[in-house]
Amino acid sequence: MSNAGETTSEDIEEDKSGLFGSNETAKNRKRRRLITSLIVIFVGWELFGQFGIENRLFFAPLSEIAVSGYENWISGELQKHISASFQELLYGMLLATIFGIAFGILIAINQSVREHCDPIVSALYATPTVAIAPILITAFGLGIASKVAVVFLIAVFPIIINTTVGIRQTQESFIETAYSFNATRWQVIAKVLVPSSIPFVIAGIRLGVGRGIVGVVVGELFGADMGLGIFIFEAGQTFDAAPQFLGILILCFAGMALTGLLQWTEKKIAPWHHFALDEE
Amino acid sequence: MKNNKMNVLDNNVMMEIRGLSKEFSRNGERLQALLEIDLDVVEGEFLCLVGPSGCGKTTFLRIVQGLIEKSAGSIELYGKPITQPSADRGFVFQQDNLYPWRTVIANARLGLELAGMGTDQANARANEMLKLVGLEGFEQSYPRELSGGMRQRVNLARALTIDPKVLLMDEPFAALDAITREAMQTELLRIWREAGKTVMFVTHQIDEAVYLANRVVVMAPRPGRIEKIVTITKTTDRSEDAKRSQEFHQAVDEIRDIIESHDREDIMAN
Ligand SMILES: Nc1ncnc2c1ncn2[C@@H]1O[C@H](COP(=O)(O)OP(=O)(O)OP(=O)(O)O)[C@@H](O)[C@H]1O
Ligand SMILES: [Mg+2]
Repeated sequence: MSNAGETTSEDIEEDKSGLFGSNETAKNRKRRRLITSLIVIFVGWELFGQFGIENRLFFAPLSEIAVSGYENWISGELQKHISASFQELLYGMLLATIFGIAFGILIAINQSVREHCDPIVSALYATPTVAIAPILITAFGLGIASKVAVVFLIAVFPIIINTTVGIRQTQESFIETAYSFNATRWQVIAKVLVPSSIPFVIAGIRLGVGRGIVGVVVGELFGADMGLGIFIFEAGQTFDAAPQFLGILILCFAGMALTGLLQWTEKKIAPWHHFALDEE
Repeated sequence: MKNNKMNVLDNNVMMEIRGLSKEFSRNGERLQALLEIDLDVVEGEFLCLVGPSGCGKTTFLRIVQGLIEKSAGSIELYGKPITQPSADRGFVFQQDNLYPWRTVIANARLGLELAGMGTDQANARANEMLKLVGLEGFEQSYPRELSGGMRQRVNLARALTIDPKVLLMDEPFAALDAITREAMQTELLRIWREAGKTVMFVTHQIDEAVYLANRVVVMAPRPGRIEKIVTITKTTDRSEDAKRSQEFHQAVDEIRDIIESHDREDIMAN
């Protein structure tokens, strides 16, 4: 299924970009626009750092950040911190995704579970669950387990909510069509509700990743022996702006990479999903 | 030209509907959607149901499909009461209801898949039906890449794959433009002949009903009931020319008179 979809959607992209008057493929255009934005930001940053701000306690030009990155990489420090934070995020997100989807489906299809749990899920979503981080660190220690727990707790709610919404927005007539072929309840769930909710679920995971990265950093600030949060915190203690920005930039790129990965995943598993206002 | 009359009385009754009624209750108010419908459906016939909006045509088809329950009466297919959907009836919805996440072929094989048939076998059968409705070459397309007429063809193919005895069609061409609709009518007649199905077809358009049907069931509203059943005399080869014939216009006028006489009563009553 994904194979066939891939060819089709790509054909269309090419067709339409032709239609809009340029020979550039949609993919190339997207890449070009992203690179333009990044260059503008980087050049602006360097100039502002060199000439705009005198006080090096608050700001560092890109070149200094790059030097700091090189030094920390050579010493092997940076890799250890990145690896710790990455594992916290990965395991926390995996747990949140699996549990969030399962529980979201349950809330959507079971009235009793929904009426018991839906208001509470909404309340917890709005609660700054990250405030519970100190307690989790006391409970699970300074290692990665406590941060995995923080990431899970903060990321799971948007996934639950989006899964539930995704399933409940399924067109009634789609469900009736399945029933007209005498589908069982389980078949309706597996063949109609779940596929129809996929774009919502992926959007929920994206929201979860954003919150999860915050969870990693805040969790580490409250107590950790390794991780980018700690790396940033320690640089702050010595009033060294460059490594702090280095850590922040790495987190920012991690977020972008994960978002890109999710978009790519969505294209693979939901090639049919299409937003009418997109040109391609 | 041989006037090959289809005399329904000589043929086998496959579906027997007796005293079929349906009541909805909405906000505590009762609404008699259907009242004591009696109807025999003959094997292999093309039956059209016409009537003003709200007279219960969709409700009727849904009960026959087993999608909703009746309030009273009986309905039997080959002597067995209808209680739920089954492979002997295929439903073609007014909106095509194609799943946007499935390719054309995956949509077409839905019914077989739900019945537990293996993918290869189901695909082979779905392919056959897509060919029958003239959609060869579009198997791997997604619904949003198709025109309205093509989508309705997939809708039809999907109902045909389960090889039902009866096709229930609820205004399937209502959303199509006039030219596409005429093409689809001709196609449907061809498929009806080739596949040898019994068809129950709901439409708003009297000329569509007369063109397609062996018999036209004219319904009246409040409460929904059968007003009259008009048998259409026609040659076996229903060409487009048939629409210009004297008989065609007579039948259309007759049905229009029945429906309009009701509208007049309605206006006077209000
Ligand atoms: N689920 C329902 N609950 C309550 N009332 C309903 C329901 N479905 C249909 N009705 C009512 O039953 C009556 C018949 O509806 P139905 O959809 O069968 O009409 P119809 O002949 O198909 O109309 P149209 O030609 O506009 O499609 C209408 O008055 C409608 O409001
Ligand atoms: Mg209707």
